[in-house]
Amino acid sequence: MRRILRVISAHVRVNLQQDLAYRVDTLVNIATMMAWLGYDLASIAVLFGSAQNINGWLAGDIIVLLGVFRMLNTLMMSIVWPNTELFNRGIREGTLDYVFVMPVNSQALISIRRIQVWQVVNVFVAAALILAGIATSGTPVSLGEAVSFLVLMVSGAALIYALWIVLISLTFWFTKFDNNVSLLQALIDTGRWPASVYPMWMRLLVTFVVPIAVATTVPVQALRGELSPLEAVGYFAVGVAGFGLASLVWRAGSRRYSGASS
Amino acid sequence: MTLNASTPPIAVQALSKTYQVTDRAGGFGAAVKGFFKREYKDVKAVQSVSFEIAQGEIVGFLGPNGAGKTTTLKMLSGLLHPSGGKANVLGFTPWERRDGFLKTMTLVMGQRNRLSWDIPAADSFLLNQAIYGLSDAEYASSFGELNELLDLKEIIRKPVRQLSLGERMKCELAAALLHRPKVLFLDEPTIGLDVSAQARIRAFLKEYNRRSGATILLTSHYMADVTALCERIIIIHHGQIKYDGALSDLSRRIAPYKLIGLDFDDDTVVDLAPYGQPVTRENEDGMQYVQVPAEKVSAVTARLLAEQRVRDLTVADPPIEDVIERAFHE
Repeated sequence: MRRILRVISAHVRVNLQQDLAYRVDTLVNIATMMAWLGYDLASIAVLFGSAQNINGWLAGDIIVLLGVFRMLNTLMMSIVWPNTELFNRGIREGTLDYVFVMPVNSQALISIRRIQVWQVVNVFVAAALILAGIATSGTPVSLGEAVSFLVLMVSGAALIYALWIVLISLTFWFTKFDNNVSLLQALIDTGRWPASVYPMWMRLLVTFVVPIAVATTVPVQALRGELSPLEAVGYFAVGVAGFGLASLVWRAGSRRYSGASS
Repeated sequence: MTLNASTPPIAVQALSKTYQVTDRAGGFGAAVKGFFKREYKDVKAVQSVSFEIAQGEIVGFLGPNGAGKTTTLKMLSGLLHPSGGKANVLGFTPWERRDGFLKTMTLVMGQRNRLSWDIPAADSFLLNQAIYGLSDAEYASSFGELNELLDLKEIIRKPVRQLSLGERMKCELAAALLHRPKVLFLDEPTIGLDVSAQARIRAFLKEYNRRSGATILLTSHYMADVTALCERIIIIHHGQIKYDGALSDLSRRIAPYKLIGLDFDDDTVVDLAPYGQPVTRENEDGMQYVQVPAEKVSAVTARLLAEQRVRDLTVADPPIEDVIERAFHE
């Protein structure tokens, strides 16, 4: 475990140096990110200019949800998508071989080789949105609600990460599978809005197949006191189980791995 | 398992690997059929290969494309599970991928980059330091030594994409050796390099081997690599070992003939067919060559000197490329 932490911190350091070296790029990225934040907030303002609530969700709840979505999306933008690209290239060019001759957990290594460290700015923005949303809605939050919100946010993100690991692991079986994450990529934006606004088929899809709702809507429901303790524990267990299952799938897949050519 | 001095660092017993590949004929009809029903066939990439390599040896692993060289290296470095047989590298079964094994061996593939293109090699070295758990002192001494041999200081600050192929290969090797592996698997380490860069890499490998006593198994298509580095070679073809022994014995065993080079007075061209098998050689030195069985060299030479007006005569071993080529196809 200590070695993994050391490897992660080395990658963070090296990637941060990259972000700093290409400072114009980084500043433009941050500016773009802020512009999207403005757009998101403006759309909420427009919506709530004409409606009191959306399917029972008040403006404050939607802002909290936006914050949670941003947290999840930061994980995707800073780690998941860049490492997907690297992974797929590694499969194509055979350089993934090197991952498997290194004395470190291969799943951890392929998850952190690229990190857009500047995205940490987004974490603060997301946290601010969550706090602002809670303040806007004006409903007091109990300690239990706060804790289950935080825990479910983390376990929900772990579930999405697990899904990602499973999707890229499928490449080990199908070799040519560059579209491995496109379903996840296409659906991730659904997390901006509560699952209940979508038609039933879509709700089922983002809850059970690509469980983005579990990582976004569910924690906010916990915060609003809408989840029973059993439900909360259930969702948490799903996150933990998903994480464990993913590492089994990864291990089975990597055993199949035989490189791009003989 | 502990190793004592007499245990060879690499021991391979009846190692085999069979791949299943999809088998389909060309053409649209076959493609459609293949979409619904795949047919597989077995490809025996490596068939019951056995050898041992002693501590500190540099062994050339040769064979035409598709002979099974890379497959064998991949099994020995733990990337592939064999279909059968055993291998022991430094006391470990490679494909169990134990930390202890991964930390004491290295794999370099000339055609595949280990280093990230976007960042300077120095940064990749630091990542390796963390991955292999090297202390700062270990890293510094290891890097210092590699720098002394490869002259890395200037090039490791630039992003790898800006380096020449030769510079990049130096960095690739350094990255692969920072953890001071005891066994090196090198797959075409000089591929694509120009002649002088090849020579530098060769000199480095030789010196590294001398200093560290590391055991090296290398494949190469460049005979200069093999003649400069390897006293022993293993030739593999269609997944089977065709020859395992001293490079110097190979021509005697596989091609027991010599080349007699002749230069005649007045540069006349003489029909050499009565003396042996005339051969044309690529180097335009103006000499004519005839190939004769090794045991007949003195007799043929005597006849040539008696019957022709010979100005200059040389006797040479056949070029190693030809000998190996012949070994592949025997």
